[in-house]
Amino acid sequence: MAARRPLAALAVAALAGLGATGCSSGGGITAAPIEASISHAFTNLYLLQQKDMGNPVPDPAGLHTRATCLKGTPADPQSGAGADWTCDVTFLVAGPATPVTAIYNLTVQTTGCYAADGDGPAPLNGSRTVTGPGYRQVHNPLWLIDGCFALR
Amino acid sequence: MTLASGAWPTFAADRPADDRPAAGGRQRGGSAVVWRAEMTKMAGQWRVRAAALACAVAPFAVLMAFNVQGATPSDTLFGQWIHTSGWAVPMVVLLWSGQWLLPALTAIVAGDIFSAEDHLGTWKTVLTRSRSRGQVFTGKLLAAASFAVVMVVIVGGASMLAGLAGGSRPLVGLTGQTVPAGHAAWLAALSWSTQLPPILAFTGLAVLLSVWTRNSVVGIGAPVLLGLVLQLVSMVDMPLALRHWLINTPFGAWIGLWTQPRFVGPVGQGAATSGLWLAVTVAAAWAVFRRRAIGAA
Amino acid sequence: MRSPEPSPAAGGRPVVEAAGVTKWYGETTALDRVDLVIDAGTVHGLLGPNGAGKTTLLSALFGLVLPDEGELRLFGRTRATAGAAWLDGVGGFVEAPRFYPYLSGRANLEVLSALDGGDAPSLVDHLVDLVGLGSDGDRKVRGYSLGMRQRLGLAAALLRRPRLLILDEPTNGMDPAGIRDLTAALRRLAEDGVTVILSSHDMHQVEAVCDAVTVLHRGTTVWSGSLDAMRGEAPDPVWQLRTSDDAAALAVAGRRAGVDALRHDQDGPLAVMAGQAALDDLVVELGRAGVAVRALVLDTTPLQSFFFHLTEGRGADPGAAPAAATGTGLGPRRRAVPSR
Repeated sequence: MAARRPLAALAVAALAGLGATGCSSGGGITAAPIEASISHAFTNLYLLQQKDMGNPVPDPAGLHTRATCLKGTPADPQSGAGADWTCDVTFLVAGPATPVTAIYNLTVQTTGCYAADGDGPAPLNGSRTVTGPGYRQVHNPLWLIDGCFALR
Repeated sequence: MTLASGAWPTFAADRPADDRPAAGGRQRGGSAVVWRAEMTKMAGQWRVRAAALACAVAPFAVLMAFNVQGATPSDTLFGQWIHTSGWAVPMVVLLWSGQWLLPALTAIVAGDIFSAEDHLGTWKTVLTRSRSRGQVFTGKLLAAASFAVVMVVIVGGASMLAGLAGGSRPLVGLTGQTVPAGHAAWLAALSWSTQLPPILAFTGLAVLLSVWTRNSVVGIGAPVLLGLVLQLVSMVDMPLALRHWLINTPFGAWIGLWTQPRFVGPVGQGAATSGLWLAVTVAAAWAVFRRRAIGAA
Repeated sequence: MRSPEPSPAAGGRPVVEAAGVTKWYGETTALDRVDLVIDAGTVHGLLGPNGAGKTTLLSALFGLVLPDEGELRLFGRTRATAGAAWLDGVGGFVEAPRFYPYLSGRANLEVLSALDGGDAPSLVDHLVDLVGLGSDGDRKVRGYSLGMRQRLGLAAALLRRPRLLILDEPTNGMDPAGIRDLTAALRRLAEDGVTVILSSHDMHQVEAVCDAVTVLHRGTTVWSGSLDAMRGEAPDPVWQLRTSDDAAALAVAGRRAGVDALRHDQDGPLAVMAGQAALDDLVVELGRAGVAVRALVLDTTPLQSFFFHLTEGRGADPGAAPAAATGTGLGPRRRAVPSR
């Protein structure tokens, strides 16, 4: 039947594509775009956190935020979606310019979106809320970072 | 019965002897006529009304549930901001519904619009009314597409309205940037509008199944099932060349609207993917429908 | 078969022209070189036992089924040249009319009216009353009886203001009053110049309303012509006769010309095949011979006899036609009557 052919062809192509590449293809998910995205997001959210806490908001360029991301262990293939991505996000605290490293555990989806769960240091990203002006508990934007990047 | 005594509509007497069309002879606009009739039929079905009502109410129910429980759906993009900014609401609803609810919504009508005539035995009623097969096909296809668009507008619009409650505050985007309230509303509306191409692709698929199998259970069920299965399949890494052409991938094309810098490539790619699916499924459905014998013994 | 006679009423071209129409379903031949000519303003009966090909022929007229061979013309147009306009001026239904159960009868008509171009909304109300649905028109079709659906089907057909009305067994499920009214209605439509094709398995119904008739049997035309022509060829009617002395009555009948009589069983009536004059003579003669006539009832009309003659003994559908047409309970016996 005429209807069967295009559908079947598409299905076969899809299966063949899946079978040929297996799960080895990263689908555009590598360390570089994740690092670019999370360092950018972290900078924005750190400024938001400082503002919500009532602290002076630093100059974003002065933070010099850098991220280094790793999937599993260095021996593993460094591409693809999964819940085993970790990122070290390093920035300079304003004033003494001391480097601080925030650790995030990432669940990266095949769509190019990720959820980065803060894993220390605790005062920075370890709790859902932080203390704002007047001891008011406010949402901690660094506790969980949602972000997306373009797949290439 | 008053057949014998009633006043009759005028028949042949007032007509010239030539072959002037009696009723519905106009070729042009024939598809629009079928479309209008299909929309009338649709409005008479409880299933359609129930779906529209559910779509209008559900976003408010979602919002109320979170407000009452104080829970935060932080495993969803934008979920952690649902108590902060109202514009997180349409995005959370979109993320939850996009992959399976929208295919199911369109399948309710598109998967049934041809096969219902089979199981009600009404093809003969429809095809004995001066409408060509092409007009009937086009009219039904447009009616199914109209329903899909209306449903997206209803559920998207309702979730935007639900978001309006807390809509004065900014929303955090997908690179941590603060998106001012007005711009967030605009982006939410744009994101919802990117659901139109893929839902139309699913409409084409459901129409094909409805024409081909003449079975509404398959026509409605299979696209829903496919939506769910592909949602699972999409969790597996695969080459982008393949992922781009999956029928459900365009549902997620909007993410780049919310990043800084924004990337809109997936929106264009999604439109192309949806267009291809729509073209192939509609062409196949027409190939099956145009040759079908109606009521063959 | 015979060629149809030209109708004096037809000024121009026949409304329906079928020539050599053939349709196969796999191995089965549903229609075998069927010819059909129907003139304007006539009521044409399409008669045949179940499975004779009536519905296939009507489906072909509507374009629902494409003939494998032969040519069909409606109002002089072929389907290939007319396209969707082929059905302009044609209304009716094939098999039991079907509607959307979730809509009311009236809403169904409105949808169909919209399909026709939507210029007949006022006609909907009128037709709902005209076909006798009345307040039932606002009920969902889901709850309609077959007879009500037939009425709605007629309304749906009339909605198109047809010049050719095609009705497939329209009296199925209708009450006697409905059948009587429909018969009168069809006559009236024909007077207005509407051409009607009425399929039926019941000769009696066709006799009451049709001007001409085509008899189909196993996909072929076995007779076609005016009802008057058919009457001319039809055998004498069959009567049921009860007497005080059946043996004597049989002996009397045996001596009379133009009378055939026989006894099916010991207690049943005699079956007598005779024209009216011969029957009158027989009754007088029975009186002279001292045999009292206790009952004399018409069993089978001449056209019914002729219809059975045309469609029986040809193998198909054993028993279907006479069983459908009998009203006396004596149907099967009647076949023993010698045919002339």
